Amino acid sequence: MLPSHPPSPNYLESASMMSGTLESLSGLGEDGSSIGSDSEINGLAVRRTDKYGFLGGTQYSEGSDKDIRVDVARQRELKWLDMFNNWDKWVSRRFQKVKLRCRKGIPSSLRAKAWQLLSNSKELLDSNPGKFEELEREQGDPKWLDIIEKDLHRQFPFHEMFAARGGHGQQDLYRVLKAYTVYRPEEGYCQAQAPVAAVLLMHMPAEHAFWCLVQICETYLPGYYSAGLEAIQLDGEIFFSLLRRVCPMAYRHLKKFKIDPILYMTEWFMCVFSRTLPWSCVLRVWDMFFCEGVKIVFRVGLVLLKQMLGSVDKLREVQGMYETMERLRNIPPESVREDLLVQEDDRKKKRSKEDKKKEKEEEKRKEKEKKKDKADKESQKKEKERAEKEKKKEKGGKKKDRGGGEAEEKNGATAPRDSA
Amino acid sequence: MAKQYDVLFRLLLLGDSGVGKTCLLCRFTDNEFHPSHISTIGVDFKMKTLEIDGIKVRIQIWDTAGQERYQTITKQYYRRAQGIFLVYDITSERSFQHIMKWASDVDEYAPDNIQRILIGNKSDEEEKRQVATGQGNKLAKDYGMDFFETSASTNYNITESFTRLAEQVLAANKKDLDLLRASVTDELNLAALEEEEGITDGAAASQKGCWC
Repeated sequence: MLPSHPPSPNYLESASMMSGTLESLSGLGEDGSSIGSDSEINGLAVRRTDKYGFLGGTQYSEGSDKDIRVDVARQRELKWLDMFNNWDKWVSRRFQKVKLRCRKGIPSSLRAKAWQLLSNSKELLDSNPGKFEELEREQGDPKWLDIIEKDLHRQFPFHEMFAARGGHGQQDLYRVLKAYTVYRPEEGYCQAQAPVAAVLLMHMPAEHAFWCLVQICETYLPGYYSAGLEAIQLDGEIFFSLLRRVCPMAYRHLKKFKIDPILYMTEWFMCVFSRTLPWSCVLRVWDMFFCEGVKIVFRVGLVLLKQMLGSVDKLREVQGMYETMERLRNIPPESVREDLLVQEDDRKKKRSKEDKKKEKEEEKRKEKEKKKDKADKESQKKEKERAEKEKKKEKGGKKKDRGGGEAEEKNGATAPRDSA
Repeated sequence: MAKQYDVLFRLLLLGDSGVGKTCLLCRFTDNEFHPSHISTIGVDFKMKTLEIDGIKVRIQIWDTAGQERYQTITKQYYRRAQGIFLVYDITSERSFQHIMKWASDVDEYAPDNIQRILIGNKSDEEEKRQVATGQGNKLAKDYGMDFFETSASTNYNITESFTRLAEQVLAANKKDLDLLRASVTDELNLAALEEEEGITDGAAASQKGCWC
């Protein structure tokens, strides 16, 4: 399915240096040796993965996930197919419904296409034919390529796509991440982009994943991966002040032990929880994230803190900085069932007061960012303008930018009742 | 009344991305080595208690993301540390060259009496070696640091290097240590002394009652 591309010589060299294709699977126990994680390499068709492709590790699903009924699943697929056929109309006229359906979870068979439509990356892809190949042909800056190569085997090492050193998944990851550094040389590569790109690659071919990554980096989470990492630190502060309102108990606890937001939310936010939650939850969160934007990241973070530190009993278990950090870095899967996560999310949505507060916070944030931007050097401004122009060119007279879902946010006050 | 520890302090692992900081830490604290692990994004830490000269030393070891752009975040933690590991990868000349940069950052952002130690990791990968042991030795000497070649993979020199840095931190804080010896019932919180108030390891603090 993937277009076969000759990896650049530079990469080939390093790939050949990577020893032992299944080396990374040791530690899987007795099954490890017999798993064919990359059929091309070892010719084995035996796969013992969960339904998401995980061979083991903390994000492996034990198969106890209750699947939705077949007829319900089929209904949903039909609804989504219908939306695909009239996508622009659905988004402009019935966005609430689209949002609700994203909250219920996008059918896995249609997820890749839905993500690309929701993020507008499909449009970028269509309006830039050949661009990805062009970027791939460029040599790339060794400064970035060096770090990228070191990261290839450190993303989802327990996922069948990425387990084998130099395997297809890692090759595609290299292509996507390298292409981005060529596409935005001033941005280069940030290590947190690798897990994000890897999640995309689990669902779509490299070129599609690339444009989707572009949208995440530039529209959904602008500045998160840029040198200086100011945006993530700023959002950390905002997140913490939101926590004060949403869950004072957790807030006081974290403050008491001087656990800065940056200590636990950096990975959560920069990787959009892809390293944090059970996989079924990751997908649900990403479905909502692609539809509604960064606010989903904030909300999920708040729900998690509330779950982990929101009651006297829970706090009793984590009396200390170390204990608290351990808990937040290894969230027990049973405490974040997907229905709970989404339901919690909805209940918050119903509390309109809180919602308004949040919107205010977000506005404040935007203002802060504007101020920050003003303070930035002229050169950066020019850079942005240039990027804007380029984007517009690329979009080729597209009507409106709905990527971040910010415009729709105001309409989102009506509480959807999620029966999923 | 069994005390959990006598002294608490913080060490920090610094060095380029991929030199093996997280693996060193895992080997030291859990005696585990995972060939399949994920890159560190942000900051993490682990704890371990050692006994040095009869003193129970609880160390909090901070692990950092190696990529340069994370330094805006990780630098905030330099000043809280009493000891620093400067780690390079003996199979990467570049990571060795960068030690100078890391060392100058430490000079700039860490407390004056910070203790440093130089680590050349991945010593088991002899066939890929790009940095001779002599080069490591020389650099360490120039900077007045101790030097260890280590392997998290084969568990070579791990405890030795961590213990050495812990000893150095203890020695550098000898004055406070003597105070501790004089009054054996108290614990000494070096980490807390660095700041206005104690960020103690809460479990230990609560077990021992009032320390603040």
